[in-house]
Amino acid sequence: MGGAELGQIFVNAVLLSGILALVALGFSLVWGIMNIVNLAHGAFIVLGAYITFFLHELFGVDPFLSIPVAMLALFALGWGIQRGLINQIIRAPLLATFLLTFGLELLIVNLINFFFKADLRSVTTAYSGTGLTLGAVRIPYIRLGALAVSLVLVAALAWYLKATRTGRAIRATGMDIDAARLTGVKVATVYAATFAIGAAMAGAAGSLLSMIVPFDPTLGGTYTQRAFAICVLGGLGNVANVVIGAAIFAFVDVFVGARLPSLSRAVTFGILVLLLILRPQGIAGKSV
Amino acid sequence: MKRTAPIALLASALFLGTFPSRAEDTITFGAAVSLTGKTAKEGEYTRDGYNFAVETVNALGGISVGGKKYRIAVKYYDDETKSEITAQLIEKLINEDKVTFILGPYGSAPSGTAAPICEKYRIPMIEANGSAESIFSKGYKYTFAVLSPARLYLKGVIDLVMSKDKSVRTVAVLGENEPFSKEVAGGAADYARERGLKVVYQELYPTGTQDVSALLTEIKGRNPDIVLGAGHLQDSLLIVKQAKDLGVSPKAMGFSVGPSSPEFRANLKTNADYIFGSTQWTEALKYDGTDPWKTPKGYAEAFRAKNPKYGDIPYQVAESSAAVIAFCRAIENAGTLDPTRVRDAIAALDIMTFYGRIKFDSRGINTFKPMAVEQLQPDGRKYTVFPSSVADKDALYPMPAWDKRK
Repeated sequence: MGGAELGQIFVNAVLLSGILALVALGFSLVWGIMNIVNLAHGAFIVLGAYITFFLHELFGVDPFLSIPVAMLALFALGWGIQRGLINQIIRAPLLATFLLTFGLELLIVNLINFFFKADLRSVTTAYSGTGLTLGAVRIPYIRLGALAVSLVLVAALAWYLKATRTGRAIRATGMDIDAARLTGVKVATVYAATFAIGAAMAGAAGSLLSMIVPFDPTLGGTYTQRAFAICVLGGLGNVANVVIGAAIFAFVDVFVGARLPSLSRAVTFGILVLLLILRPQGIAGKSV
Repeated sequence: MKRTAPIALLASALFLGTFPSRAEDTITFGAAVSLTGKTAKEGEYTRDGYNFAVETVNALGGISVGGKKYRIAVKYYDDETKSEITAQLIEKLINEDKVTFILGPYGSAPSGTAAPICEKYRIPMIEANGSAESIFSKGYKYTFAVLSPARLYLKGVIDLVMSKDKSVRTVAVLGENEPFSKEVAGGAADYARERGLKVVYQELYPTGTQDVSALLTEIKGRNPDIVLGAGHLQDSLLIVKQAKDLGVSPKAMGFSVGPSSPEFRANLKTNADYIFGSTQWTEALKYDGTDPWKTPKGYAEAFRAKNPKYGDIPYQVAESSAAVIAFCRAIENAGTLDPTRVRDAIAALDIMTFYGRIKFDSRGINTFKPMAVEQLQPDGRKYTVFPSSVADKDALYPMPAWDKRK
């Protein structure tokens, strides 16, 4: 492995970390605050990807400009799903939440499949594949843009949770639901907001992924898996943990992928298992 | 259709059971094809190809065996894209429906489970849609495939590039870690070495991968003349996208699966230009056969006239029709309906068809038909560019570097 290659691999890993952080962000928020492992998270990502795809294909909207649209649409959908469905099982055992969100995932994926067919799609723009060249290292504009969007959204969410009233209410509910309720927090609204924000983040991730990978209705499943792994690696609790988890996942995946591609998944998830044994609370965070 | 099928089945069972001599004027082939499940689409192509050949043969008066004329028909079951069900259905076709000739299912896995059943009952099967050589490495005597095997999929691309450019030295092969693609990748690397090329990179990536930038970064460092990909459509799209991202610009790029599908152009737009794809068959090829349609063009026009919903004809349709033609010819050559003697006639078959040459090696694979190569060209169309003797346009070579294009 030469210097140029090492540089490129390092850059690839950094770029991947950003997008994976965004993929896991909403998942981690919903899990941490509501104690719901949202298996439909990947389906929300796919919806975001389709929104961006159709806005680009039908109206020529630049994919980056369609991100707010995807986020708003998913925010509304997330709010509706939380009030209509998730609320029914909020204090039910974990298994019930698994069943409900898994069913939701199947439903959404099959509806997309029914309406839009299983064809593979990608958003290809005039600037797709172009990028900066720094010596022997190339940084594609789309990936760089995706990293920037991810960082902005990660920072925005961190700020929102820390500095705003609703944000503090969300964190308080995550820490102790009964105490939060006693201090006048409207838990129902907080849960709806949390789930909606999680869905909106998934929508943004989907928009970005539609420019990076070819997708079909089943794309989400692998990203739910990754989000899960990242949450376990980083630990739940706060935004920084998600970023750390995503970075570990991306660096292991990319560096192992460069040397032993056929084993990359086995090694990545092997490390995950090892970590669970050695440090069940995650690298940085509170116990899962 | 649904309602008449059980009645027809009952009727034919009664006839077969009670008056075997009466049913002899129709030869019925058995087939278990995926009409539902994951490969429902391809299963439909297979069935349409079989049916079209059957209709054509019957319209021309059927086949003549030992001086007697027979019509032909196919008895279908749906294997639901589950290869264990394929095996059960083949067993049912042989034992209950008393079928003595089997047309293959769709795909390598079901063909692999059908083969041992045919072997057990000594019933010959000609299949058109299972190209993994693992089906043929077990010494079965009754299974034959009209299509080119997986290991030869990318041979055409290598031959094409070497005929264009004597200076190519190096090749990189990346493939999906899955039985069929592994065979394609391994076969391509072995053939490249045989032709004196140096394989500077050969790796497999996991199924369903979302990122191949790590592999492409390695490949870029080794600067190969040719990059070959053996995976599924999504992988091929991802490799092209990320090759452009990372500035991986070999002289030629070729894929076993992807470029022949319309989705390839739809996803990649102009980035699909200059890329080679291997294919079993295209209607642009210039074969001249002795079958009812003679040429690919003749076949395509006749097929579309009967099946107007088709635009481009998928190769699965053509190879399925070719399997029926091969079977009919072998039965005629054998001059008897005895399964074992028909099996010997299949093994000895050597015919030229609209689909290319059909002749089986000692394992039962048609290694005598070349894989064709298609190229997507900047005028937005797809051309068959290899083998040059049967191609419809010259290949554009080398592929211009990504940053040197308009």
